[in-house]
Amino acid sequence: MLENTLKKLALTEPKKMITYPLIVFLVAVLVLAVHFPNLGTDLKGGVVITLHGGNVNSLDVETLLKQQNFDVTVREIKSITGDTRIEIRASTDVNVQGIIDIVKSKYPGVTISQTQFGPSLSRTAQEQSLKAVSMAFIGMAVVVFLFFRIPLPSLTVIFSAFSDMVIALALMSVFGLELTQATIAALLMLIGYSVDSNILLTTKLLRRKEDTIEGAYFSAVSTGFTMSTTTLGALASLWVLSQAEVIDMIAAVLIFGLLADFMNTWILNAGVLRWYLQRGEKR
Amino acid sequence: MNLKKLLLNGRVLLLLLVILVSIITIVSQGITYGLDVSGGVEITAQLENPVDQSTMEEVRTSLETRLNTLGVKDITLEPWGDQIIKIRVANVTEEEANSIINTINRQGVFYAEFNGIIFATGADINRVDQVSYDPREGAWIVPFSISKEAAEKFAQLALGKVGYPVDIFLDPPVDSLLIVPQELYSLMSSGEFQFSSDAKPLPSRLKEAFNIDIVPYGNQSIEEIAKLARGKEKVILVEVNSDLESQLKNLGIKVEERELRAGESADDFVRRVLGLYGPYRLQEGLTTGEPHTELAISIGGSKEDITAMKQAQVVSVVLRSGSLPVKVFVEGVNYIPPTLGEQFKKQVLQAGLAALLVVGLVVYLHYRKVKIAVPVVLTSLSEVVAILGVAALIKWNLDLPSIAGIIAAIGTGVDQQIVITDELLGGIKVGKITKRSGILKRMGRAFFVIWASATTTIVAMSFLFRFFVGGLRGFAFTTILGVLIGILITRPAYAEIAKVLLSEKR
Repeated sequence: MLENTLKKLALTEPKKMITYPLIVFLVAVLVLAVHFPNLGTDLKGGVVITLHGGNVNSLDVETLLKQQNFDVTVREIKSITGDTRIEIRASTDVNVQGIIDIVKSKYPGVTISQTQFGPSLSRTAQEQSLKAVSMAFIGMAVVVFLFFRIPLPSLTVIFSAFSDMVIALALMSVFGLELTQATIAALLMLIGYSVDSNILLTTKLLRRKEDTIEGAYFSAVSTGFTMSTTTLGALASLWVLSQAEVIDMIAAVLIFGLLADFMNTWILNAGVLRWYLQRGEKR
Repeated sequence: MNLKKLLLNGRVLLLLLVILVSIITIVSQGITYGLDVSGGVEITAQLENPVDQSTMEEVRTSLETRLNTLGVKDITLEPWGDQIIKIRVANVTEEEANSIINTINRQGVFYAEFNGIIFATGADINRVDQVSYDPREGAWIVPFSISKEAAEKFAQLALGKVGYPVDIFLDPPVDSLLIVPQELYSLMSSGEFQFSSDAKPLPSRLKEAFNIDIVPYGNQSIEEIAKLARGKEKVILVEVNSDLESQLKNLGIKVEERELRAGESADDFVRRVLGLYGPYRLQEGLTTGEPHTELAISIGGSKEDITAMKQAQVVSVVLRSGSLPVKVFVEGVNYIPPTLGEQFKKQVLQAGLAALLVVGLVVYLHYRKVKIAVPVVLTSLSEVVAILGVAALIKWNLDLPSIAGIIAAIGTGVDQQIVITDELLGGIKVGKITKRSGILKRMGRAFFVIWASATTTIVAMSFLFRFFVGGLRGFAFTTILGVLIGILITRPAYAEIAKVLLSEKR
């Protein structure tokens, strides 16, 4: 059945193939325009105190702290494995030790971790992130051009990588994931993954000697399908089994991006390449 | 027969060798975990404005000197760029973490004291010159100058008191009660800290200048100690059994503990607890009653005596720290309790193993061949081992982002192995191309894809590595490392193995 679906894809009209991913891209841009993902504490500045274990209710904690005039927001995070953790957020000028002391005397059984990011540190992190992402993107574009030396296929590869990141960001916004240093690293990693599959496709189609375009596409798409499923499987097990926030976030963003990449490579980029090659043949 | 040929193949041999060396390195060196895995606190201290390298070093040493008096073990300070110092302490309790944060936020408090009277504070130090060696005196010299008022006060105090001790303090435990063992009390009252029998002994000097009471511990009752602690800010238990600690805490008294470190001598311990540098013997020239603003502290020793030189540098830092060229404040804190870190470590290990198994399963489902699934999983596993080997070798702090990076690298690694496998299988399926040139061409195409994607990943990640101050450098580092090990060692070896295993099938 799977083989049939992939074969059908191989025979679809190139122009149709290009349209759908572009629509998805535009929707993602719209989503981002309406609601860009929130900045995480490490980019915005602030304090996060996390309570692990113990039978703690987030509402109780909130009332307890509000009674003492602490300006905090409290939320509960449930993991798939059933553990809950309570996250207390506040601005940097809050008395962190005061909060910890109150929580500790009320709930002696909890384990407490804390993170603080001052305003200038988070500003530096923001600047660095912006720099890292834009430089990495430019670097990627240069490398892709150097490897292919043909403008149209190179541009398509670069656009797919860009669209992967935009769609992943839009999904982050939809699912309420924050933009943090960790998720930015994951977005950068997407560049690597996305170029992987796109280069595979482009190479197969441009350097094909023995097959028809459809045959070469079919062989590439089945390889690509295997690649994506193994990576998705690995990331999913990572996401399910680990409760460390950094790892969870990176896994989630990579999963979003890989799903987007599947579409952008095997439908968008494939459509453009087939159209490009057919035009070449007609001449 | 094929197996033998395979084992003798250069690329496969190289892989085996790398795995072997990595395992040896991991076992012998051990892996250093980041604080988010092992538990501990990471503090980002920021300087008010960017400074040059020598000032940065001065600030670092000053912070280190001050933090050392807190009695917390294994503090590492690492400057990042020109404005940030990262302070990492493993395995600390929350109280310890907070006292470190408080100390950094507070500017160093410097006092110079003579015979129980404070004659200068940090504000009185006008200038501290470079540490130098004086061959005539046979000593390392720290020249500095003090304000006119301080010089006049000192001249009066010191009149005729040749050989008396001069103490300097950095962050002394002002307004506190120190309970110390009998031996330490005797040491503090001995000539070691008094020099001249006419001078006041150290405990009296501390009492008069800083309201610090030193009490020898002789099984006093808790009530007695509580009574002594009246009017004090806190009680410090120095090498005294910790039973007292909880009892005093129950009475609502602030208690801290100090313990002797391995290899620390008793008098160094006393100095650390008190934040004391010196005492220094008062030279004759300063006892005439005439004010001198230019002073120097000399530490006896030869020019090659590294210990003496280091001591002189510490003194110079202490003198300066009351008036550091820049203000330092805490900008970021990340505290992970040790138990939580342990939990993360276990989960990540489980997740990693599960990820490998899932990869094996998916690969098996696609090809329906154990012969492909097992080598793919084993190659990925060897990649993990090689990355950990390098990390152990260079003592890289393996934090959570680094671990995520390893997993990301494995992800691309598996992708590339699938590209290789499909190119090989394609050749067998379609044209029965058994000619060597056919295989070479297919491998060439597979490796073109692999090199292109590896180059992009490395380029993208190196920007992250270069521009990030935060922990995400770890992510970039392990990703780059994994991709490099992949394209140079494991991928070529896998190609050889797959060639043999898949052609056997025919």
